Amino acid sequence: MAQVLAMILAGGRVGELDVLTFFRPKSVLPYGGLYRVIDFPMSNLMHSDIENVGILSQYRPFELISHIANGEPWDMTGRQRRAVILPPFQGRGSSDWYQGTADAVYQNTDFIRMNDPELVIVLSGDHIYRMDYRTLIEFHREKKADLTVAFTRVSPLKDSSRFGLAAIEDEDPRGGKVTEYREKPKNSNLEWASLTIYVFKTELLIAALNDNATHASHEFGRDIIPMLLKKHRVYGYKHTGYWGYTRTIEEYYRTSMDILGYRPKVDIRSWEIRTNMANDGIRDRKPAFVGASARLKDTFFYAGCSIEGTVRNSILFPGVSVEKGAVVEDSILFFDSTVKAGARAKRTIADSACTIGAHADVGGPGDKLTVIGMGTDVPENVRIAGGVTVHPKLKPGAFTKPRYKAGEVIQ
Amino acid sequence: MKGTAAILLAGGVGSRLNILVRHRAKPAVPFGGIYRIIDFTLSNIGNSSMTSVAVLTQYKPLSLMDHIGDGASWDMSGRSRSVKIFPPKTGEEDWDWYRGTADAVRQNISFVESAKGNEIMILSGDHVYRMDYRDMVAFHREKGARVTIATLPVPWEDTHQFGTAIIDNDSRIVEWEEKSPRAKSNLASMGIYVFDRQYLISLLTESKEDDFGHHIIPQALQEKVVYAYAFDGYWRDVGTVQAYWDANMDLLDPASGIDPEMWGTMTNINAGGSICDRPPVSAAGRARIKRSLISPGCTIEGRVENSVLSPGVVVKKGASVRNSIIMHDCIIGEAVEIERAIIDKEVSIGRDTAVGIGDAGIANREHPKHLYSGLTVIGKRTVIPDRISIGTNCIIDPMLDESAFPKEVKSGSSVTRPKP
Repeated sequence: MAQVLAMILAGGRVGELDVLTFFRPKSVLPYGGLYRVIDFPMSNLMHSDIENVGILSQYRPFELISHIANGEPWDMTGRQRRAVILPPFQGRGSSDWYQGTADAVYQNTDFIRMNDPELVIVLSGDHIYRMDYRTLIEFHREKKADLTVAFTRVSPLKDSSRFGLAAIEDEDPRGGKVTEYREKPKNSNLEWASLTIYVFKTELLIAALNDNATHASHEFGRDIIPMLLKKHRVYGYKHTGYWGYTRTIEEYYRTSMDILGYRPKVDIRSWEIRTNMANDGIRDRKPAFVGASARLKDTFFYAGCSIEGTVRNSILFPGVSVEKGAVVEDSILFFDSTVKAGARAKRTIADSACTIGAHADVGGPGDKLTVIGMGTDVPENVRIAGGVTVHPKLKPGAFTKPRYKAGEVIQ
Repeated sequence: MKGTAAILLAGGVGSRLNILVRHRAKPAVPFGGIYRIIDFTLSNIGNSSMTSVAVLTQYKPLSLMDHIGDGASWDMSGRSRSVKIFPPKTGEEDWDWYRGTADAVRQNISFVESAKGNEIMILSGDHVYRMDYRDMVAFHREKGARVTIATLPVPWEDTHQFGTAIIDNDSRIVEWEEKSPRAKSNLASMGIYVFDRQYLISLLTESKEDDFGHHIIPQALQEKVVYAYAFDGYWRDVGTVQAYWDANMDLLDPASGIDPEMWGTMTNINAGGSICDRPPVSAAGRARIKRSLISPGCTIEGRVENSVLSPGVVVKKGASVRNSIIMHDCIIGEAVEIERAIIDKEVSIGRDTAVGIGDAGIANREHPKHLYSGLTVIGKRTVIPDRISIGTNCIIDPMLDESAFPKEVKSGSSVTRPKP
C-alpha cells in the first residue's frame, strides 16, 4: 500500500515506567521473552503491506536506532520500502524538541509531503496488539471519513480517566461516527477508549497540524480530535481483539503475563511477530540449555538461556542464567541477567545484565512488584521485599543494609 | 588476513549419513539445534577476518545455497567481502564433475589466480571445530612453508580413516600415509591446508591428479616444503550417523570442549524465509526438561531428556523424548515414546507411537555399517501413524505417509518408499 504512510510515535520515556526507561525509550522496552514493544506495530504494518514508516523519537534513541536498523527485519528495505527514524532537529528559528504528539508529526510535514501518500496512519509505539490496518483503512475509505480513530471497549467509570473516551454511533458492527470525544475525563460513562491509532487524509492532517501549531498544546487526543470533530467526518473503528498497555510497571507486567499459560490472551505463536534478531546478538546464541536439576513450569525462555534451577510462571529473555537451587517465580528477567545459586526472585522485573547474588531473596510475597534497573549487581544474601525499586548500574557496595522494605528505593 | 582467500570444499556426499543426506549435501546437515555443519567452517572464516571465500558445491546444493545466501550471516557481504558459490560447470570439452578435491580446485583455478595475498586456504565444510586460521597462516609464514596441513592426534584405531603425517623436530612433514591400515603415526590431517598461492597454481597445472591427500601432498613432500600445524582443540568429522549423534550429545556435556556460542559460531536463521521470527520456547503444563538443548519456537508439554531439539519442535503432553536429536518443526504426538532417534525436519509422529524401543543388538539389515548401535533414523517430512512401534537400528525413508507403515517396524529393518 504505497499510498499509505505510517508515522509511529515512539517518543519519550514515561515517568511511570521509572527505572525501565532510564536508558531507553518505552517503545524498545523488552516484551515477551524476545521482542521489543515496537515490534508489534512494526509487524502489524508489515502484515498490512504498509512499508513506508517514519518513527518519531527524541528520548535516548540509541537502542531504538540499533533495533530498527535499516528496517530490514520487517522487510522495509528496497526501492519502494523504508523505515526511518526521525529525530527532532533545529529549526531556523528555535531549537525544536517535539512539543507533543501532534507537534512531532507537524515538524515532519516535509517527510510526509516527500512521500506524498493518500493517507497517513499515526500509531503509538507502546501497545501490544495485533491488527490488520488494511481493515481499518478499508473502513475509513468506505465511510469516506476524514479521520478514523480506533477504539476498544472499556468499563465506564472504572478505567476512564486515563484515556481519550468517545461515543460511537452503531451504524455498522465495525464502528460508526464519533459523536462525542473527551480526553481523560474525570467522570464519564463513555465506553470507547482511544487506541491512539489514527487514519488521516493527508491534506486534512497537514491542515489540522498547521492550524494547531499556533496553539499552546499539541496533542492528537486533547487538541486535534476535538478540533476536527466539529466540522469533519470523524469515525470510530471498534477493535475487538487483545489490547495491552505498557505505560506503567503494573500494566507492563500484566500485559507480559498475558503471554503465558494455557490459551494465553496473547497467543504469540499465531501473531507472527518479527524482531531484529541481530540486536543483542540474539541470532548468535546457542539453543537454551536446560540442565539436569532444572524444573520448569509455564515459562517462556529463549536461546542463550541456561537453566539449572526452578522457574515457574516467568519470562526469560535470551542469555538469562538461572543457577542450581535458584527459584524464579512470576518474574520477568531481561537479556543476560543471572540468578545465582540458591537465590530467589518473586514478582520481580530485572532489567538486562542484572545479577541476583547467591541466596539473595528478592520480591514478593505481596502484590507489589520489585524492579531492578539495568546492570545492577544485587549482592549475596540480601533480602529485598516486594515493592522495592532498585536503580540501574549499582555495585554490591551500594547495598548498605541486609534488608529492604516495600517502598524503598535503592540508589 | 584480509588478503588470504579461502576455498571451501562443500561437495561432500557424506553417504554414511544415510537418509540425512538424501536431500542435502553433508555440509548442509543440521547440527546442534540451530546450526548446519558448514557453519563451523564459515564462522571460522568470518572470525579469522578473511574476506573472500569460494564455496565449491556439486552434490544437491540447493539447501546449502539457500543457507549461505549472500554470506551476510557470517559477515561476509559488503563491498570488499564476499562468498561466491561455484557449482561444477561444463568445460570446453566435456561435462566436468569434480573428480576429487584437487580437481575441484583446478577447475576453479581462475579464483586462485585472481585471489589477493600470497597464501590461499583450502578448507572442507564437513567438520565441527573452531580454529583461528590467522594463527595457522602465521605458522606457515614463520616456517617458510609452501604447504601447511593442520593435524591433530587421533586414536590409533582410527588412523585408517585419515591421511597421517610423520614429522621432524621442526614440524616438517617427512612422510605421509593416506588412509593406511597400519599407520606409523597417529597425527591425522584435518583436511585444512594453507598453500603458497603460486605454488598451488604450479602444482595443479603441472599435475593432472585429482586428490590432495592421495596425489598433490605426496608430490609436494618430495620438495620438503610441507609442514604440520598442530591443533589440539575439539574437532569431529561427523560423517557417520554414530559420530553425528555423538557430537550432538557432546553439546550436552560442558566438559566435552564444544561450545558454539563461545566459539562465535554464526548461522543463517532466516534461511527458508519464514514469515516471523521463532517465538520463545514455551514450557507448559507438565513439561519436564532435563539436560537438553532447546531451540527457539519449541513448545514442550511432555518430557525431554538428554536431547537436542531444533527450532519449532512440539512435544505434546505425555510424550517422552530421550537421547535423541529432533530437527525443525517435528511434531511429537501425545504419549509418544522416543529413544535414541535422529529425526529429520518436519516429521510428524502420531499419538501413542514408540520409536527406537527394542533390542539394540540387531544392526540394520540394509546398512549394517551405518546403523548398528541402536540409533533409529527417520527421514524428512515423513508422517508416522498413531499406535505403531518402531524398533532400534531402523531407517525410515523421507516423505512417507501413514500408509507406508506396518503396525510394527522391527529392530534392524527399514521402511522405504514403495517402488513405482
